Order: sequence, then C-alpha cells, then structure tokens
Amino acid sequence: MSIGTSMSRVDGVAKVTGAARYVADARAAGMTHAVMVMSTIARGRITAIETTRATAAAGVLGVFTHRNVPRIAVPSGEALYVKGFLPLQDDRIRHAGQPVAVVAAQTLEQALHAATLVAVTYRAETPQVELALDEAYTPEPGPFGPPAYARGDVTSGLASAQAQVEAVYTTPLQEHHAMEPTAAVATWDGGDLTVYLSTQSITDVQNSLMEAFGLRRENVRVVCPYLGGAFGGKGLTWPQPILAAAVAQQISRPVKLVLTRADTCTSHGHRARTHHALRMGATRDGRLTAIDHTITQHVSRTDELMYNGAEPTKILYACPNVRTTLRAVRSDLPTANFVRSPETVANHALESTLDELSYALGLDPVELRIRNWSEINQETGERHGSSHLRDCYRRGAERFGWSRRDPRPGSMRDSGELIGWGMATASHVSGGLGGAGATAIIAVDGTAGFRSGTQDLGTGTYTVMAQVGAEVLGVPVRSVRFSLGDSDFPRSVPSVASTTVPSVGAAVARAATEARKRVIAVAVADRRSPLYGVSPDDVRTEDGYLIHGSKRISYREVMRRHSKPIEVTVEPPEQTPMRYSVGAYFTEVGVHPGLGRVRVRRVVGVFDPGRVLNHKTARSQAIGGAIWCIGLTLTEHALVDPHLGRIVTPNLSTYLIPVNADVPDMDISFIDRPDPSSDALGARGFGEVPSTGLTAAIGNAVHHATGARIRDLPITQDKIIAALGDGEPHA
Amino acid sequence: MDDFLYTRADRPETAVRLAAQPGVRFIAGGTDVLNLMKDGVERHEHLIDINALPLSGVREAAGRIELGALCRMSDAAVHPAVRGRLPVLSQALLASASPQVRNMASLGGNLLQRTRCWYFRDASMPCNKRQPGSGCAALRGQNRWHAILGGSDHCIAVHPSDLAVALTALDATVVTHRRRIPIADFYLPPGDTPHLETVLRQGELITGIEVPATLPAEISRYLKLRDRATFEFAVVSVAALVRLRGGVVREARLAFGGVAPRPWQSPEAEQALIGRRLDDASIRAAGEAVVRGAVPREHNAFKVSLIQRALQEVLR
Repeated sequence: MSIGTSMSRVDGVAKVTGAARYVADARAAGMTHAVMVMSTIARGRITAIETTRATAAAGVLGVFTHRNVPRIAVPSGEALYVKGFLPLQDDRIRHAGQPVAVVAAQTLEQALHAATLVAVTYRAETPQVELALDEAYTPEPGPFGPPAYARGDVTSGLASAQAQVEAVYTTPLQEHHAMEPTAAVATWDGGDLTVYLSTQSITDVQNSLMEAFGLRRENVRVVCPYLGGAFGGKGLTWPQPILAAAVAQQISRPVKLVLTRADTCTSHGHRARTHHALRMGATRDGRLTAIDHTITQHVSRTDELMYNGAEPTKILYACPNVRTTLRAVRSDLPTANFVRSPETVANHALESTLDELSYALGLDPVELRIRNWSEINQETGERHGSSHLRDCYRRGAERFGWSRRDPRPGSMRDSGELIGWGMATASHVSGGLGGAGATAIIAVDGTAGFRSGTQDLGTGTYTVMAQVGAEVLGVPVRSVRFSLGDSDFPRSVPSVASTTVPSVGAAVARAATEARKRVIAVAVADRRSPLYGVSPDDVRTEDGYLIHGSKRISYREVMRRHSKPIEVTVEPPEQTPMRYSVGAYFTEVGVHPGLGRVRVRRVVGVFDPGRVLNHKTARSQAIGGAIWCIGLTLTEHALVDPHLGRIVTPNLSTYLIPVNADVPDMDISFIDRPDPSSDALGARGFGEVPSTGLTAAIGNAVHHATGARIRDLPITQDKIIAALGDGEPHA
Repeated sequence: MDDFLYTRADRPETAVRLAAQPGVRFIAGGTDVLNLMKDGVERHEHLIDINALPLSGVREAAGRIELGALCRMSDAAVHPAVRGRLPVLSQALLASASPQVRNMASLGGNLLQRTRCWYFRDASMPCNKRQPGSGCAALRGQNRWHAILGGSDHCIAVHPSDLAVALTALDATVVTHRRRIPIADFYLPPGDTPHLETVLRQGELITGIEVPATLPAEISRYLKLRDRATFEFAVVSVAALVRLRGGVVREARLAFGGVAPRPWQSPEAEQALIGRRLDDASIRAAGEAVVRGAVPREHNAFKVSLIQRALQEVLR
C-alpha cells in the first residue's frame, strides 16, 4: 500500500542538502539582475524621473521606466491577471510600492545600488486607505458569483427566533510572507520566451505572457520546479514575470528579478481588511432560524475582486433563512487577493458569533453545532460526498477533555493564569476549478513516470502524486517518479483552493489506471508470459507484480519483453467537482490576569478530509494551518499609515509571524474514511481547512478565560487589558 | 548601498585614530549597522572593525562587575557573576533578540543600536532623526510602538535596547577610551535634535561597562512585554532593583523600556516606594508616578496602563 502511509517527502533530501534548485538559484549564461524602484506615494502622478546617475553607475545595462518601456498589452482576467493595469506603462501611481522603474545590471549588488540613484518626483494626491464603511458599495458579480446570496427569509427567521445575537467582527490586513520571495528568470531565444517563476499557476502565467507579448503557446514556456511556500501570493499572475521578460527583451540578456521582502508586501496582494456584521437567531433548543452576514472589505481602484466570501455561512449549518452580502470599499491600496484559506475570516466571524449564541442559550458550544449539523450542503441542497463532522466534534472533545469544562467565564485557573477553553468548526471548500491532465509513462525497465503541469507549494505534491500513481499501478513508490512545474507537461490547474489532490490526483489515477490496463494487456497477450491467456480483469497488481492465482510476472519483465515504453495521456476534464472538507478545533489558552498576555497552551484538531493519502504531509498541513491561525488571531497585522497610504510594516521585524515559542504541541488526528464521491482514491482537497476555525476557537477561549469578547483581530494584550479593566474577569 | 572602506583594527589606538574622521564608524557584531546601511538609513564611508581588540570578557572586581564592550550578549548573559549577582542584567540580555543575534551582537553595539521606529527605518519616509527637518510621521501616523514619555514634537521614537534599561536600573557606567559616563547621562533627550542620541563624540570608543554589584537585592528582575513570545522588541519593559530591610524598601532603582526615547527613569516612582512596604498602595503610587506627564498618542495610550501593570507584576 502506498496510500495512507506516513511517507516522508520524496524531495526532502534534495531540499535539506541544497540540491533542490529554486527559481532564484537558476543560473544562465549572461544572466543579469533586475531590481525594482517602488513608488513612495500612494496616489498621484510621476512628474519627473532622473535616471542619468543610475544609468551611468557601474555594471548597469539599462534603467527602464514608463518613458522607455514599450507598450505591453495588459493581460486579461481570464489569464488570471487581475490587477487591471501594468506598471511602467504610464505616469499614474495607483498604490504605494508600485514599480516605477526597473534597473538591470551585471550583478545584484550593482542593480541594488543603481536603484537607489533613480530620483522620482511626484505630484501626490491624498490617498484613502481606511475601511470607510459609509463608502461601501455592492460590486459586480465576480468569478465567485454574485455578491449577494439569500435563502428563505432572514427577517421572519430573526423575528421567530427565541434567542438572538448581533455582533461585528473585524480582521486586519494580512500578508502572505512565504519564506521564498517571488523570483522570476526570463530568457528570450529569438521569439521564444522561457520564464522560470515561483508561481502557483504556470498555465495562467503562460497565458498572461502570451497575451502581454502577443506570443503563441508554443513560443512561451513557464517552469517552476520548487516553491518555498506561496499561500496565495504566487497564485494569479502579477507584473513581475512580465516586467522581467520586457527587460530581458530590451537588453537581450537573461534577467533575474527577485522580490525583496518589502516588495512582496505590495507586489502580489494581501488579505484585505474585513468587517463582518452578523445577526443570528435560534430557537430555545438551539436550532438556527436565521443568519444574516454582511462582509465589507477594501478593494483597489483598478479591480474589485473579493475573495473573502461567506461560504461557511452559506454551506455549513442547517438553517432555513440565510443572507450573505459582500460589500466593497475603494481604496488606494494595492490589489488584494486570497491568502491561505480565504474563508478563514468568514469562518472566524461565524464561529465566534455561534459561541456568543451558545452563551445566550446556555447551551454547550459543541452541542449547539451538533444540533445544527447537516449532511446536506446548505447552499447547493446536495448531500456531501461524506461528512463526518460530528465524529470530529466527538473525538476532539474526548481527546481534549471538553466534558470537564466549566462554562462560566473566568472559572478556570492554573499557575496564576486565567484558563479558557474554546472550540470551533474548521471548514473550507475544495476544488471547483478546472480539471488537470497527466501523462503516465511506463519505461522498459518497469519504472513509472508521471507528468502534470501542476506545482508543489511545499505541501507534498511530488510525494503524494507518486503515491497515487504507485497505488493504482500496484508498484512500490520508489519506482515511481512524478514530474511537475513545466508548461510543456499536460495542462493543469492553479495550486489554489485545495484543488491539487482532487484534480491532479484524479488525473494521475486515471492515467495510471489506463497505463496499468495496457501493461496487463501486453502481459496476457505474450505467449511466453505466465499470465498468457488470462482474462485481464482477473489480473491484480501488487508490489511491482502482475498476479493471477499462483502465477506472477513483474512489471519490469513485462516491459523488458515489450521493449518500448507505454505512454498514456489523459486530457483535463472541464471541471473538478467542488467538495467540502471539515474539522473541529479545541484549544486552551492562558491569559495573564494583570498583563492581558494570551498564550495558546494546547490545540486539538480532528479533521475529515476523506481518505488521508499521506498522514505525514497531511499532519504538516494541519500544523501549518494552525500556526497561520495563531498568527492571524494573536500577532499579525500589517499597518498602513493613514496619511501616506504606505504599509509601515514591510518586513519580518515589524510584521510579527508567530515564533516557535508561540506555538504549543498539537494533537492532530484524522477521521480518515474515504469519500465515495471522490475521483482521487477517496481523498478530498484539504490544505486550507486547518487554517480556519482555530482563530475563533482561540477567541472563544479568551472569552471563556476572561469574559471579554475581543471582536477585532489580532487579540493583542492592549485590547485585553482595556476589556478587563482592573484585571478581574467579567462574570 | 554606497561603496565603503573596511579596515580591521588590531589595537584600540589604531581604531580611535582611524575613527577620528567624519564618516567613519566602528563595527563589532554588525547586527544593526549592516541592516541600516543596506536599507539606506545610514551611510558610512569607512567602517573600522574592532572585533580583534582585547575588549571582551567579564571581570569581577571589588564591588563591581566590568563587562568588556566586545563581550557578546550571549556570553554576558550566562556568565556566573552576571547570573548570580546581577539577575536583572542576565534576564534583560536573554529577553533580547534571538540566540543567533545574541551570539554576534556586542554589548557596546547594543547600547548604540538605533530605534525600530518604522518611519526611521524606511529611508523614503519623513523622519527628523534620520533626516533633520523632514518631519515626524509617527506623531499623526502609526504610533502603537512609540513613546508616551520623554518624546518631543520632533520625535517619539523609543530606544530599543533591553540591556540599556537594565544598566540604567543598575546605575552602570559606560567607559570609553577617554572618559567614564554614568549611563543616566549617556543618552540625550530628543528635543529638537533627535538625530543626536548619545554624548559620544566622533571616534569615541566604548571600551567597557562597569556595573556596581555590592549587596544582593531582594528584587532584581527584568520584565519585557511584547506582541509575541520571543524575538521581538518590548512594547513596554521594566527593570527593577529593590533592597528591603525588615519588609520596608530601603533602596529602589527602576528603569522602563519601550515607553521613551531613552531608558526611562522615574525618581518619583522610586521615592514612592522608599521607606514603605511593598504593598498594593505603594506599588500603585509608584506606577502612577511613572506615567505622570505621559503624552499618549492615537495608538499607544494603552502603554500608560500597561507600564503600571508591568511594574506591579515585577514588584509583586
């Protein structure tokens, strides 16, 4: 069995020894280095750019601005270029940290130095960067559907409720901050363009480059062998590969462009600040009668895409009357996009308000959720492929010891700390995008290779797809090699929206199924084979052998005699079905009663992702997701100067991601039962689920510890002491 | 980053002679100055590497402990004399930065590190400290981390050193190649010249730090509050050194970090404790004395309450 084990990553050794070459490691003959000069105002126009000193600096090959970069077509939204404009095409400044010049030089140091010599003069206008609710409007329907959704009648649902809560929750601007900043290497060979890029979607980047430079598909190749994390910041297409290619074209040399840490904060989106107004009603015994959830977020001046949808509110709980509304506020901030688990903020507001409702009803928060559980997707009305959420609650409660909880706020203490126990549901849609293709090649030595134009964010795609191929073929994983990250491979989908397992996993499974059939056909048709004449349906495969009763022959032997490889390519289907993966988080926090300091002491997470393909990579996903939640809840917030319109926290010194000392040991487990509706061996997409839910669980635990509801993230100690007053918990 | 000269000095006299010119700066651990140069916040024509000078080590003398200017933070923190006789100093060092940074950073360099104010650290922002006359963006901007005490209309940046706060409570003396400077006189208030931060003159070399270590103190404690568990600068911090006799405070030395442009002292708070028992009333009076005259800004008003709570926690 290859599936369901706890296998280490197949690329692990290459990564820890440095053999794995990331995009920024790429070397090419004649490589040059590009550095961007970023706008220091948020809104206005460039009135002058002085490039003489930079151009004359040692090693400089060119200084490019809107004055000398040829016009480039702005790629379309279909190619997932959503920014709406390309920098270096006109004198307008649309946000702070917008590229206004690119300097190319022989070495990185020369380019960095020359970039400091470019002097830009602006005519600045006053930027608007606040989330001004009175300016909110309803945007046009986007790729994620209309901004408004309703079922039933919320007004009468609230009117008939015996308990009601109303709350506003807000979340801060959050950055991606992958360990690896985006890197691009662009090389022209005549009319052929090759771009190495850290991207979650080589296909969309290829499409964008085709549109930008008017090229045909066969003239553009995009390659991405490894990613050092991405979290959405490398999804979509952003200006960097286009600028790198434009500069490479101008200087006729390969160009490497690696974002600085500060560049990353304005170059590939962020999670917008969000404001959630919720009203929720229930019967006395805790059945939901209505949920009204309005989400307001900022959008840029040049796009209005909103990724922080209200899916959990629409899908999760059995409630006849639900209304969700998305509202946008224009601002002079850069384009926002998705950040790991776009649904996490809606989940936070929903799960926090549910906790408030549980107190209004005097009902245990786990019991409240169990009473409103449904096996029906409440938005589509269709049954989930499988849903073991109630088992997640029960197992999580048991592992955590939830039954010993005294629900009264401030009732539990340990070593001078106020102790709080909180829980919440984790949930996220997966799939729902296009489908993936794949090629399987069974070589004459019996080993198998698979290829698909997908990406490995660092989550384990290389490993898990090799496991899927091995499982279907009935061969050991070590004789399977999965290749990815090349637009010459069969087209795949972006590695976003927890879609890789359901789409690429399904493609590899289909290709492997067909390849296995062909190998069996060869074996049963060969007179010298021990399986000669056996019905193909009666042949099973296991551990590298084709077997019928006591007779067996190895893949290796079949292929040696066949003496030519067997190659199968499966085309991408129109769509990967949308599924819903779930889980439950339980957490314990300690709050210092005088100082308001919050510490996460324990986390229990139980998840239902269908069948678990690899327990080790799945567990790592869950731990990483939980750490994201701790960051969003307690430490992370990008701050914007209200007058300058600039992010003042553009580095890891001021933007605080959690350190190890903020992260407790975690107890992560899986229900691990196959989803019969899955095309990927019983598995569903899962990656985004664990970075939802724990935010609310922590907030709910803080309330349990202190009696204070901190409805504005992050929950920093100043907010706790303001709520605590003299340090005594509220009853 | 502009090109610069780099010279390794092997004798203090050489280092001091070379550094007498404007545009020259010493470099030891380099944990701050290199970042500042790369970010265009500081420009130096010539760096004098002083790591080879014989200025490291910790020496116990009668009634005091002498710390070499080049002693690394990690070495000083775990030195038995520091641990045993100056717990507040050891705690402050261990609460600083990360193990990697502490292994590199020198004590002298730590005292001279620049503020973490984001307007100072971004060379394209207005900042009177970096570029006199360009304005202070923090006054009306994002000022969660800024000063509530001792600031001016020109600058409300806070001094980031934990070590300096502990040394202030300990009444230490900074020793340079030409004089001895009580730490209370070492840092300058920002006034209308926030770019001038210490009394050191061009080329003046810190050679060591002398810390009085006479009688043991009943309370010798450093408390640092921050927005994550570690590897982060103080939101507020307190260094306290209290000697008691018969349950009554005989001597109290307090210093506060994260609240002012230099390690903050409050003689009134100390006076509120001396001659009294350490109880809720005296501690509360001391806390109120600390923040008398505080000027909170839009995002940092919480520090007025938090610094008092931190003091309570330390003295409890």
